[in-house]
Amino acid sequence: MNRYDVIVVGAGPAGLSAAIEAAKLGLKAIVFDENAKPGGQLFKQIHKFFGSKEHKAKVRGFKIGEELLQEASKNGVEVVLNAIVTGLYMDKEVTVKQDDKIVHYKGDTVIIATGASENMVPFEGWTLPGVIGAGAAQTMMNLHRTRPGEKVLMLGSGNVGLVVSYQLLQAGCEVAALVDAAPRVGGYGVHAAKVARCGVPFYLSHTIIKAEGTDCVTGVTIGEVDSSWKIIPGSEKHFDVDTICLAVGLSPMSQLAKMAGCEMEENPLKGGTVPICDEYGETSVKGIFVAGDVSGIEEASSAMIEGRIAGIAAARSLGYIDEEALKEKSKELEAALGSLRQGMFGPGSKGKEIIQTEEGYEISKSLLTKGYIAEDEIFRYPGVTKKTGLHPVIECSQNIPCNPCQDACRKGCIKIGENITSLPVVDQDSECTGCGLCVASCSGQCIFLVEDGIEEGYSAVTMPYEFLPLPRKGDMGAALDRSGTKVCEAEVLEVRVAKAFDHTNLLTIKVPADMTMKARFYVGQEV
Amino acid sequence: MERSIDLGTFVPEPDDDMLICRCEEITKGEIRQAVHDGMFTIEEIRRWLRAGMGLCQGQTCGKLVKGIVAKELKMSPWKIEPATSRAPMRPVEMRIMGNEQLEG
Amino acid sequence: MEKEGKQSMRVENHPILGEAESQTVVTFTCDGKVMQGYEGEPIAMALRNAGVLVHRHTKKQDKPRGVFCAIGRCTDCVMVVDGIPNIRTCVTPLKEGMVVQTQYGHSEKKEA
Repeated sequence: MNRYDVIVVGAGPAGLSAAIEAAKLGLKAIVFDENAKPGGQLFKQIHKFFGSKEHKAKVRGFKIGEELLQEASKNGVEVVLNAIVTGLYMDKEVTVKQDDKIVHYKGDTVIIATGASENMVPFEGWTLPGVIGAGAAQTMMNLHRTRPGEKVLMLGSGNVGLVVSYQLLQAGCEVAALVDAAPRVGGYGVHAAKVARCGVPFYLSHTIIKAEGTDCVTGVTIGEVDSSWKIIPGSEKHFDVDTICLAVGLSPMSQLAKMAGCEMEENPLKGGTVPICDEYGETSVKGIFVAGDVSGIEEASSAMIEGRIAGIAAARSLGYIDEEALKEKSKELEAALGSLRQGMFGPGSKGKEIIQTEEGYEISKSLLTKGYIAEDEIFRYPGVTKKTGLHPVIECSQNIPCNPCQDACRKGCIKIGENITSLPVVDQDSECTGCGLCVASCSGQCIFLVEDGIEEGYSAVTMPYEFLPLPRKGDMGAALDRSGTKVCEAEVLEVRVAKAFDHTNLLTIKVPADMTMKARFYVGQEV
Repeated sequence: MERSIDLGTFVPEPDDDMLICRCEEITKGEIRQAVHDGMFTIEEIRRWLRAGMGLCQGQTCGKLVKGIVAKELKMSPWKIEPATSRAPMRPVEMRIMGNEQLEG
Repeated sequence: MEKEGKQSMRVENHPILGEAESQTVVTFTCDGKVMQGYEGEPIAMALRNAGVLVHRHTKKQDKPRGVFCAIGRCTDCVMVVDGIPNIRTCVTPLKEGMVVQTQYGHSEKKEA
């Protein structure tokens, strides 16, 4: 039987990271993945990640995937694709479907990194072609460059629903509405804001009543729900759409751990049935570890760190390193993981309604119900300052673990401080050179540069812009406010494209002076 | 598991004909009825109705079935006994299942 | 790809991913109709770009189904490919000359 020091199941962010660390410490490692390509869901993630430098913040997911693959190959990790692990038996015997055979392997340790599966929600017509998972939409447009439809309704306002809605817009689809049965937006406010300012209406406390169509989706009816989730009669709204996208959460795919006899628990905070494990990811079965979403739903950034920890712990359990080295090596990783889990979206805050930030600023109610911060709420945040000269306006209003903007400004104009989840503060006295690096560095796209009085009665607003076609200097169009409503005419003053911006282009428009704090998006004139 | 639960009489609901298990085409009403017929665990539901036994092996409907059974039993879904996990984790053709090799 | 007609859903240029790389075009048939797609892309993508959304009709209720998860998990997009039923078209690479057929129940035959 083929024998390995460590067999890793799943070549996603957690599995690859685990194999890399194990291989670095001298273990003979093999990774099996059922897909034709490695990377799990990373290659569909075309947005910039949150976090700090050690979490690869402001790097786009697919780039992180490429880096992981390089690191794996450099360290001699064997990755076997189209290889379905069909079972995990006693003494860590693993059966793998490869081509038309079932091949047996034996691992001295096994790391299960099988990830998650999408939750679905049934409604009348949910089996019609055109009703798809949000992951399917991402796979189609970001991997296979095929738009799932022309006009889409998104169900789910968690980060997946918000990010995929934005990506649908980027791929050229129209997003007719973003719907969630919950009364509040579930994902990051900054993700919601960038969708809302493109003009996508949010319907919180709404759910899908039915998908319409005979052979495929031709429309959808939604309705408002009361506090007991019942539809309020008369609240029905219809949309002509050809696609309905479901983004209603993920569940750990933990069946393999269960089959192996690991002690399991039903844990709503972790998204479902998960194996009980220690701080290194070791389950109740000695030598079987878990890492990533299979041990509880989190972000890819945390999955990578969990994977690294499990890889090191596997090395410890086989005696490649001693207890001291395990503690030493995992200490930094545990700290990085800890910082990612902070803030109002961390595991500790799950399901709780947060009404103010750690600093005591009131959370925008409009952001939670409509997807954007209202005009009378915006000035309460420390990144939003009034000043005549050129300066950044940071519309960051929630404590999320992210700090690239602080490092982006070479003049020290933006301060977050020691606590990674603190809201960025704009230093009024620092000079802003207008370089725009902060604008492009913000994964939430919530930093703008504004300058009053560029000419009599006019201001300039610089915004992140990730759409095609790219406007050109001199173009005339309209400025949209945070809600996506056209508020005034706008002239394109400048479009900056730079490698350092990594496809977050900087668009500067000229707007009337009273629009400085309103204009947040631009649309070109319809031809 | 407590077997002597009084579930009352089966009352039809308007969305009983909604499909839950997409592969085996099992409706919400069939699952609810099965609970009333004494199937209290996911394992029993699977064997009785074939819900979750089709090509996808319950990947899509697993959580939904659990929710319906829980509601019918007036229990938390987290208390419902889940199905057994066994090989193969994915559908594999019989000719391949039979083609076992100890060396790759 | 012009031959796909106006239903094509291809994203030729993308603000983040850039211009699409050029691909080898292959010809296949779906229910006898000649279609084109890119070699190696999932069959389901070629079908979507040719305007085909219905992949199969279910056994019991004869209801249409198409792509649902797009990663080979849900098995809703299965079709008869080169005579073999239950092929997950969302993860099966397209090849020149493939014969793809709508699946009715477990076969390509519409039951009377």
